[in-house]
Amino acid sequence: MNRTILHLDLDTFFVSCERLLDSRLNNKPVIVGGTGDRGVVSAASYETRAYGVHSGMPMKMARQLCPNAIYIRGNAGTYTKFSKQVTEILQSEVPVLEKSSVDEFYADLTGMDRFFGCYKFASELRRKIIHESGLPISFGLSINKTVSKVATNEAKPNNQLKIDTGYEKAFLSPLSIKKIPMVGEKTYRTFCNMGIKNVNTVQQMPVEMMLSVFGKNGRVIWQRANGIDNSPIIEYHERKSISSERTYGQDTTDITKLKTTIIAMAENLAFQLRRGGKLSSCVTVKIRYSDFQTYSKQLKIPYTSADHHLLPVVMRLFESLYNRRLLIRLVGVRYSSLTSGTYQISLFDDEKKTVNLYKAMDAIRIRYGDRSVMRAVTMGEGARTVGNFTNPFNGEPPIVLAHRTQ
Amino acid sequence: MKFIVSSTYLLKHLQVLGGVINNSNTLPILDNFLFELDNSSLKVSASDLETTMSSVLEVESDATGNIAVPARLLLDTLKTFPEQPLTFVVQDNNTIEISSNHGKYAVAYADGAEFPKTVTLDNPSSTTIVGDVLATAISKTIFAAGNDDLRPVMSGVFFQFSPQNLTFVATDAHKLVKYTRDDIAASEVAEFIMPKKPLNLLKSILAGNDVEVKVEYNDSNCKFSFENTELVSRLIDGKYPNYEAVIPKENPNKLTVERNQFLNSSRRVSIFSNKTTHQLRLKIAGAELNISAEDIDYSNKAEERLNCDYQGDDIQIGFNSRFLIEMLNNLNANDVQLEMSLPNRAGILTPIDGLDEGEQITMLVMPVMLNN
Repeated sequence: MNRTILHLDLDTFFVSCERLLDSRLNNKPVIVGGTGDRGVVSAASYETRAYGVHSGMPMKMARQLCPNAIYIRGNAGTYTKFSKQVTEILQSEVPVLEKSSVDEFYADLTGMDRFFGCYKFASELRRKIIHESGLPISFGLSINKTVSKVATNEAKPNNQLKIDTGYEKAFLSPLSIKKIPMVGEKTYRTFCNMGIKNVNTVQQMPVEMMLSVFGKNGRVIWQRANGIDNSPIIEYHERKSISSERTYGQDTTDITKLKTTIIAMAENLAFQLRRGGKLSSCVTVKIRYSDFQTYSKQLKIPYTSADHHLLPVVMRLFESLYNRRLLIRLVGVRYSSLTSGTYQISLFDDEKKTVNLYKAMDAIRIRYGDRSVMRAVTMGEGARTVGNFTNPFNGEPPIVLAHRTQ
Repeated sequence: MKFIVSSTYLLKHLQVLGGVINNSNTLPILDNFLFELDNSSLKVSASDLETTMSSVLEVESDATGNIAVPARLLLDTLKTFPEQPLTFVVQDNNTIEISSNHGKYAVAYADGAEFPKTVTLDNPSSTTIVGDVLATAISKTIFAAGNDDLRPVMSGVFFQFSPQNLTFVATDAHKLVKYTRDDIAASEVAEFIMPKKPLNLLKSILAGNDVEVKVEYNDSNCKFSFENTELVSRLIDGKYPNYEAVIPKENPNKLTVERNQFLNSSRRVSIFSNKTTHQLRLKIAGAELNISAEDIDYSNKAEERLNCDYQGDDIQIGFNSRFLIEMLNNLNANDVQLEMSLPNRAGILTPIDGLDEGEQITMLVMPVMLNN
């Protein structure tokens, strides 16, 4: 049976949000991203793209390329709010919706053709979103996720595109191989070395050849290039892990600062676990040195969500991991192997007080925010802005910033 | 060196001793049985360095000698023989030849001197316990002992001897069992922690056996001797947590319920609980005990109601069903009592009947936090 999959993408989402808040930004070159030395471009308006600016580019480089642009240090909270608004409109209109990131949605419209005409329905939906939220949005409509996504990217900015059934291969064939989702910088380079530039060539290649070059992924890339993608629409994203990481504005060896950051992250994540009714049994600590060498170490522990079980493990891992005499660029903490449940009180090291303390602290945090009450050790420098303000277990995908590869 | 022994008689003893031998040893000599022959008495020992067990067998011989024979090979061979006399003859070329009615088998042996020496206890204290009583004490407690390498003291059973009674305690920090015998006493006060492995061996040998077991102990080792068998084990070094302090004294909420019903309901409901955390929720109000569980990830849910006898305020308390089931399973009372104070303090499970004279069992189980 042929499916009908709609892919929607909010154009230059962060920039659009900023323009909505301040109309003076309209039709001007706008760049949203970190404004520190280490910042990268999260979103760049179409005006700046002419200068060669793209998301993921270091801010310093963007400033050189486009010195006249307006630079804004984004605010994740605002964007989440706008994203939620769009999500609500979509949820009320479409039967099955997958939110794959803050600004991207897939909807399964299979079977709706009989009543509405999918393309007509999608166009009306798009007009409705633009009308109600004021944000420009583009969509692609086809028989599967991959082709729809590519179609959206072709349609942009603020436009729509329908790929008629049976023409998927023909639609993809003249495009650059880079347009296929999954083909990133590295894969593209490999393709170039093979003398392949267009999807067309891949379509004519035998799948075995792809397998020998790219391994298992080769088959998926080949299938996608041929417009084959049977992946379903996933309505609910089950979180497999929660993590937090921080790149310092300047590389550091300040051990107090490092520890402050790590404890703050570990504490905040432990709170997230408890709020989501989850337990973790695997703790990972990650360090990136100034030479970009990245190390991580993990430890399996009994299921827990208690600070006094998790923090010592995190500290121990960090201490055993940090052994090169080098500046540190990034530290991160992750809890994985999650399961739902509440933690088992121990006979000996839990006093009644500790249990009540967690309950009280969590109640305060739920009411007044993540950082309204915290350990004194995490008050210092290095822990500012730690804490993400949304519940990671609400079924939505984690907010992936533009410069992170998905 | 030569001796003749009945195959089944030898096998019976070797199988018991074989329990001591680890599957993988750092010292290859520990894969062997030590045979010490002194005329008509053959002493066979097995060891894993922590625990050494030996049995004295009667054989037909007039020789002496010490050899170490590969355990696995010998056990596998003996298992296949019907009852018959076997002749063991030590050859010059470092092999031992076994002759049966069916044929001959040669096994390479090592010098008995390579085998680690059995520890001798310096000025030990001692007491005697009936084998079956010891086996019961072990089986009532050992399931509660932990497996955590980070807290070795909790991976054993705590023996507390005094002139008034004997107490055995095991805990893994989430559940605790205290088993007391008032009808037996030791000559003096002593405390030590026995590791699980030798206890499991003793439990299987001594269950249902009325033999007197002599227990000798000092600061680092403990020796159990009975009939022709001796077991010497190193003790776990460390201080046992102060378990008395964590047993809540005031428990105003008392639940009395039929054990079998409670056990069966918990078992059934726990099938629907989360597969990794096994959490059960007990809601007690009036004369009704409500047991429920939920696995949110798979939308499984179960709820059962039981009649019970309850004194106290309405309470909601969460438990790991595994602990609860293990504990209820280990009791053989018809009715049990669960005493509670608060949803975040330990529940105390005690049997109401079914105890022997002088027996006392207290089980503690820590709840899990419930969010609501």
